[in-house]
Amino acid sequence: MTRSLRLNNHQIADLTVLFGLLSLVLWYFWDAYNASTQVLNLILIVPVTGLLLILCLIEFISQIRNSDRETPALDPVSSIVPVVSLFALYVATLPWLGFDVGTFLFVSLFLWLHGERRWQWALGYGLCFASLIALFFSEMLPYPMPMLLLPTDY
Amino acid sequence: MIDIEALNSGLGLLFSSFTPWLIVIPGILIGLIFGAIPGLQISMAMAIFLPMTLYMDFMLAMLFLTAIFTGGGFGGSIPAILMNIPGTSSSIATAFDGYPMSRKGEHNKALGIALGSSCTAVIIGYGMLLFLIQPISGLVLKLGPAEMSAVILWGITLIASLSGAHLVKGVISGLIGLLIGTVGYSEAGVARGTMGNAYLLDGIPAIPAMMGMFAASELFKLVNTQYLVTDSSARKVSVKVIFSAFKRAVTYPWIILRGSAIGVFVGAVPGVGSSVANLLSYIETKRKHEAPESFGKGNPAGVVASEAANSTSEAGSMATLLALGIPGGGATAVMLAAFAMHNITGGPQFIREQTDIVYAIIFANFGQAFLLIALGLVFIPLLANIVKVPMTYLIPSVLSLAVFGAFGLTGNMAGPVTVMVFALIGWLFKRFDYSVPAAVIGILLGNMAESNLIYSYQISGAQWSYLLERPITIGIIILLFVSLLGGKLVSMLTSRVGSQADA
Repeated sequence: MTRSLRLNNHQIADLTVLFGLLSLVLWYFWDAYNASTQVLNLILIVPVTGLLLILCLIEFISQIRNSDRETPALDPVSSIVPVVSLFALYVATLPWLGFDVGTFLFVSLFLWLHGERRWQWALGYGLCFASLIALFFSEMLPYPMPMLLLPTDY
Repeated sequence: MIDIEALNSGLGLLFSSFTPWLIVIPGILIGLIFGAIPGLQISMAMAIFLPMTLYMDFMLAMLFLTAIFTGGGFGGSIPAILMNIPGTSSSIATAFDGYPMSRKGEHNKALGIALGSSCTAVIIGYGMLLFLIQPISGLVLKLGPAEMSAVILWGITLIASLSGAHLVKGVISGLIGLLIGTVGYSEAGVARGTMGNAYLLDGIPAIPAMMGMFAASELFKLVNTQYLVTDSSARKVSVKVIFSAFKRAVTYPWIILRGSAIGVFVGAVPGVGSSVANLLSYIETKRKHEAPESFGKGNPAGVVASEAANSTSEAGSMATLLALGIPGGGATAVMLAAFAMHNITGGPQFIREQTDIVYAIIFANFGQAFLLIALGLVFIPLLANIVKVPMTYLIPSVLSLAVFGAFGLTGNMAGPVTVMVFALIGWLFKRFDYSVPAAVIGILLGNMAESNLIYSYQISGAQWSYLLERPITIGIIILLFVSLLGGKLVSMLTSRVGSQADA
């Protein structure tokens, strides 16, 4: 008797991640192979890629065979999108905004987005935290940090 | 085994004045602070304060640096327990049960028990070193690149085996980590996987990747949580509970002893030891425990096992440094620089001719363990207050700290970008049951695994028969298969025996 294959959203996403990882592995193998076919270049990459191909196949079969398993209760992806976007924006703008202003804006905006409506608190905490941490790290590190307002080197 | 005359002389050096102890106290404090701040490394602290040792006696310089090492060793467990950010790769396993304990409101207990097991293990580890420095260094000399490669693979399979029902995904994670660890210039001088990006030529920065996968991804998950500890009554910081948990650590004598032995011997393996020792100790404890399913959910025995091994792996790496002059990692490399600054070369000759200094360093570490107890009990209650900070404030603060720390490690924007990218990968891995610790260990050791495979290939002349001449390698490979498949084989055999008995 044949059983129809029905996958829910989580299982489809799980398989997509598996294929995504496999694609990255194959791309990396192809890039390394094109760079040089010497044994010294591929001594680890070839056996590990081979093993990964086998393991991904096993995992794929296991996921298809256990398609009726229970899906864990997870937070919706949309809940982390604002945080991830803000964090990505923070990291991306650091070279221009500097660690001082960038951190101040990131912390204050994060607080505002997560319900801190006392703007004095949001701005005050952001300012104190960003100044202290930027001064501490620029003092401790042996190389200059990008800054917009604070001195870049001590 | 012990040279009594040199021992007396070493004790004389240590106790003839109060000066050595005046240097040790700030050293431990520096280590605690650098260890407790995510992104600041023990090796960084030692490098920053290395110039201060130039005008000290050699012994005082070593005491100061080992004090930073000891303080930092424990300091790394504080963010692992409170924020799921292992300060170093040697405290990865501390986070497995320490962080769930914190989330259950048992942060006081977790921190106290970590301090207790750390300090007890430092004493046991250096005690072992006192008697076994020669045999340990002899053993390390027998380890070639083939053994190192086997130890690395063993470490990855060990951690993958923790994935329980998701064993295949665990191994996939570890192997993908290994590949990520090889991105950049290879030993053959060709660039792989860089996509033309100059930042990637040196490879993917491992520690920022670890910070992203462990910490930032966890913070993304907690974005809808109000506090780290949900129950408001469990958010209290209690010195009494910390102290009582500290004393409770000694009620796990076998776990501490086993962890210490693993820490000293595995920790002595250059480069690999400290990362693998804590995992090995954790897994052995889980395997032998009456309730292995409670591990990863906040079992204090897991914290004891990991802390016992990572604290003694310092003693193991010191054995390799003192007896062979080989640094096992960043921290011991800085110590080697201190050796050079004082025109001293580590190795068998150093042990033979300066035995009193070796004994003084060992006994100073016994003293450091007691000082760490006092300083730890003062500092831990202050740091434990982190559980009272609302997540709205904690999340942006820790994310920023990780970004600053990552920049500090790389000196350019590659660090912060790595944190960002690996935070997303870590979140994805956690969501779909891939093993984050296995991937991190793979990233940390990938480059070293490849180098050691190349050396083995060159030494063996590409002959597989070379492996048959390396009994230690064969032993480790057997252990690798046992740790990966042992549990399944035992359960298969048990069920078969059970079904035959039923028949």
